[in-house]
Amino acid sequence: MVDVVEGCRLPVLRKNQENEDEWPLAEILSVKEIPGRKLYYVHYIDFNKRLDEWVTPDRLDMKKLQFPKKEAKTPTKNGLPGSRPSSPESEVVRVAGAGPQHTPSRPPQPQAQQKSIPTKTSLPDFQVLQQQAQDSQDSSDGIPSTPRMTGSLVSDRSHDDIVTRMKNIDCIELGRHRLKPWYFSPYPQELTTLPILYLCEFCLKYLKSLKCLQRHLTKCNLRHPPGNEIYRKGTISFFEIDGRKNKTYSQNLCLLAKCFLDHKTLYYDTDPFLFYVMTEYDSKGFHIVGYFSKEKESTEDYNVACILTLPPYQRRGYGKLLIEFSYELSKVEGKTGTPEKPLSDLGLLSYRSYWSQTILEILMDLKPDNGERPQITINDISEITSVKKEDVISTLQYLNLINYYKGQYILTLSEDIVEGHERAMQKRHLRIDSKCLHFTPKDWSKRGKW
Amino acid sequence: MSKLSFRARALDAAKPLPIYRNKDLPDLNDCVSINRAVPQMPTGMEKEEESEHHLQRAISAQSVFREKKENMVIPVPEAESNITYYDRLYKGELRIPKQLFHIQPLGLDNEQPDYDMDSEDETLLNRLNRKMEIKPIQFETMVDRLEKASTNQMVTITEAKLLLNEDDYLLKAVYDYWVRKRKNCRGPSLIPLIKLEKRDGSTNNDAYVAFRRRTEKMQTRKNRKNDEASYEKTLKLRREFSRTVTILEMIKRREKSKRELLHLTLEVVEKRYQMGDFTGEVLSEVTAPLAEKPVYTVPITVTNGNRHNHKAEIKIKTHKSGGLPYHGYHHVSVKDEDPFDFVRPKKKYTRREPLCRPGRPAKRQHIVNKADIKQYDFHSSGEEDYPLSPSSEPDEENDPDGTFAFRRKAGCHYLAPCLDQTSGLLWDHPELAGLDALRHRQSLTALSVPQRCVGLARRRVGRGGRVLLDRASSDLDGVLKQLDSGVFSSSFPKDLSDHQVPTQNHRTMPGSASSLTDLLSNIQALRWRFFRPRSTQGDASGEGRTGRPSMDNRLSGGLFVHTKNSGSGGITEEQYQVHQQALAQMQKQQLAQLQLKAPPPQQHFSLPERQNTRTAGSTDCIISKTLDSVGAHFAASAVISAPGQVNNENKPDNTSVNGVVQPLGTSRPPHSTSTSQGGTGLDRSGRTPSSGGPLLPASHSTTPQSLPNHRGHGSAVSPAHHHHNARPSPSSLKLATMATSSLDRVPKVTPAISSMARDNHEPERLALNGISETTVPMEVT
Repeated sequence: MVDVVEGCRLPVLRKNQENEDEWPLAEILSVKEIPGRKLYYVHYIDFNKRLDEWVTPDRLDMKKLQFPKKEAKTPTKNGLPGSRPSSPESEVVRVAGAGPQHTPSRPPQPQAQQKSIPTKTSLPDFQVLQQQAQDSQDSSDGIPSTPRMTGSLVSDRSHDDIVTRMKNIDCIELGRHRLKPWYFSPYPQELTTLPILYLCEFCLKYLKSLKCLQRHLTKCNLRHPPGNEIYRKGTISFFEIDGRKNKTYSQNLCLLAKCFLDHKTLYYDTDPFLFYVMTEYDSKGFHIVGYFSKEKESTEDYNVACILTLPPYQRRGYGKLLIEFSYELSKVEGKTGTPEKPLSDLGLLSYRSYWSQTILEILMDLKPDNGERPQITINDISEITSVKKEDVISTLQYLNLINYYKGQYILTLSEDIVEGHERAMQKRHLRIDSKCLHFTPKDWSKRGKW
Repeated sequence: MSKLSFRARALDAAKPLPIYRNKDLPDLNDCVSINRAVPQMPTGMEKEEESEHHLQRAISAQSVFREKKENMVIPVPEAESNITYYDRLYKGELRIPKQLFHIQPLGLDNEQPDYDMDSEDETLLNRLNRKMEIKPIQFETMVDRLEKASTNQMVTITEAKLLLNEDDYLLKAVYDYWVRKRKNCRGPSLIPLIKLEKRDGSTNNDAYVAFRRRTEKMQTRKNRKNDEASYEKTLKLRREFSRTVTILEMIKRREKSKRELLHLTLEVVEKRYQMGDFTGEVLSEVTAPLAEKPVYTVPITVTNGNRHNHKAEIKIKTHKSGGLPYHGYHHVSVKDEDPFDFVRPKKKYTRREPLCRPGRPAKRQHIVNKADIKQYDFHSSGEEDYPLSPSSEPDEENDPDGTFAFRRKAGCHYLAPCLDQTSGLLWDHPELAGLDALRHRQSLTALSVPQRCVGLARRRVGRGGRVLLDRASSDLDGVLKQLDSGVFSSSFPKDLSDHQVPTQNHRTMPGSASSLTDLLSNIQALRWRFFRPRSTQGDASGEGRTGRPSMDNRLSGGLFVHTKNSGSGGITEEQYQVHQQALAQMQKQQLAQLQLKAPPPQQHFSLPERQNTRTAGSTDCIISKTLDSVGAHFAASAVISAPGQVNNENKPDNTSVNGVVQPLGTSRPPHSTSTSQGGTGLDRSGRTPSSGGPLLPASHSTTPQSLPNHRGHGSAVSPAHHHHNARPSPSSLKLATMATSSLDRVPKVTPAISSMARDNHEPERLALNGISETTVPMEVT
């Protein structure tokens, strides 16, 4: 049998959502030997890396194996950001985009250096190389060697190595749920080999065994996130946690969230963030459903840093609820806001959906005024919804509502848009009731340091 | 419509967009292509991810179907929610509380061990439990401590013994077990912890290091080099601000401890009062070392009078002790008095500040209280404390500003009378404060020689063993007069008593609730102290009358002396000579002269009571009354500072000024008072009717509470005049000339004052023509 090494590409069997077999092209990212057999960590090309997995050799279509091209198949490619392992072609691009997310295009010097590496480099070498790359960038465009300190989604290249490319936790048990992590998360390394990592459902402490969790639960009397409850309606509550005052919980929450957020960075401490944890109450306590974090002071109008609905609760409207809540906070603050970029695929879909519904709700509620055709400015929409102007425009565009007609811009509502909206709103049962929100924004700039 | 012939304008977010339904616009399709004029907004995703298969599929599905189709969603790794043992694991139930949860900002650390026992540990525990009982939590605590003590290297068994304080067998067992377990442990600690950064930067790229501390360094853009500099500056600024904050904190602390001291002192006083330590024996026993040098920190020269007033007023402002209306009034009065000069004194004040500051307030408080308690404990050493305090006399001569210019003397501590400080602290209600405060620090006192009750006073020993009485005026003064006549009627000189009767009427303030009977009953019930001289000297009558502890012999002696001096109005000069208070005299005389020069109408100026008395005519009467009132005034103003005033050796006048000497009766103290007050007025405004100056403000603001002060002011003036009449001196002449020179300024002042007076005063008083009135008495005399 030919040796399948890192960088090889070949079709790999996987089940799709309809539980049908399909053979998407995949790239081997890692190989490990466990007693009796080899396991291959594969990334399906053009699939999000959350679907990466360890596969047994029988799922590999060896007939179509492509060996790595010399230059491109070095492990360095694994250090690149983005959810896909890089193909040689895209590598250039990706290296270029490797810096902080807000500098999308970057001179490609680092890439040249990487290409000069003949074959696989050992990890230390790679790190050295990366350092060089950073240095060169430092000089070229002032990007510091450490990630910038604002925001939560910095794609710092220090994590863009083979280690962070691969999921390190197999399974997390949290309350009633077993979660399969999607991405790397820097839980203590000794815990990554466990088949299951146990989390306390309420304080999110990580434990290596069920026994430990049991013991922990005799000592942990939390039954809700350790913060102030600022919203409650029905069984849904929101708790506000200060990343500076409650570090342990904030860190545990971040570690958990990192399992499902590709671009989240845990490089820096949680001090400048507030965490809003959404819970659902039952007789056992307030169970975490999702959360979003928010910078205490954002220089870029971000009202959300990271946002996550835990997988067991996904696709049930909680995400939209989280988003709606984040905008409710912005309304109280009297600001418009936007989520920190980059958005994930799911993030983009959720936000687009929320924006669309919110804006359509407004547009459709506008009644003709003394026979005049209803009209509204983008600024008005932004003000009413606290959605940042750019997002309003992009949504209008995405919905194809903006048209230029007889010398002026108009908004047009097509039947299918209207119908689609009405259908969607019928399904949207979970809403935030601003009357149940007890929130006073703090002026963090007036405090010493967060 | 030709689509290509024009470019659409940019989309304006502020421009209203009319909303159409597609069906309303049949021709819409014609213009769709122009849509490109709106720039495409980025999705906010990373480019590579945006092209991912599932996302694209989902997006296209959405755009086609307007909602997500079940099979078009983005696939994610599965999650299960079927943990069967959940209920066993999470025991107990939580009822949802009505209130929203609110976490206390601090605490909630229940000191539970972070280490959680695993099944391996459980085995050990079971084994151990055969020999001894050990609870899981106990074991966990042990391991937890061992772990936390082993950050750098593992603790040794001996260290463990110190650390754990457990039974030796158990400790050994657990320790050995722990060592073994730790060696097999893959992680750095048995308590799994997030990897921490190392400061050397070696962990900068370690994927498992998380939550690094944010460094102070600001991220600057390379094209803005000055960012760094301004950042540095901002940092510096911040540091400096925080230093300021620190300083302010310290000040706050200092002021707090001052207040604490005050309260303590007060408590001491009360305790002493309760245990009857009126002679201060107990206190001196206890505080012998401390009391050796009683600190009279408030040397005030006659000449300084005005400055002091200023200072006092300013002080009041800064001290803000009582929040009594009285303060406010005082402050206002300052402004009113001399709109012209106000700034200057203030400056001086600030300059002076450092000198008077050190340690003063605290000491002061102490003294005051001490003085209160030991009304008759004379610290003869007090004067020696300030041997350096110079007489202000020479100053007068050279001062271009007139006699009233203030000169500070080296080595001299100047303390302003804090009129209200104590009272403010002790009593909230101003009205109460007036009387009660006085009553607590003064005692009813009777003189032997003019046999009469001088009202509230307290005594001190002045230079050369002279006994000085600080008199205070109060609402009771009128009543006290009655007391006089009632108690001493037999021995009282006819004339005095005659005059006093009318006085009473005037004196009794409408608001004063106390009557003679009340007073007497108070005295008899020992609620009020009443000191009378023993019958040894003069024909003091009614010795043990009240059953009060009589003053000690010294005191009575001293009293006697004073009384002698002050016995009759004419004796004043003697007193002066005796005391060598030439300066004070001169001032008074000057004042007098000035006042003489002032127009007659001024007569009306003084407070109604005053006026009446004066108009009544007999000088004696006036004197006595004035004295009383003066005393009151001083008491009011000087109560607090009184002790300090004694210190001015060189300026016995001062003491008198501050009302110390007042008990002497008519003669000196009034002068000094008047001078001081007048001085203040004069100095600042440079106008002769000085006495009027200070008076005026008082009168304006007369409120029920401020009445005592009010009186004081008024009275102060009159006595002075009186004196002058008695004997004009060269200095007075000088003063007069000065006054005349400055007379031109007077008119200005007057209108203002008078107007003010009108505003606040009763009509009668208004009649007064401002300052000039003060002078009236002079004329009369």
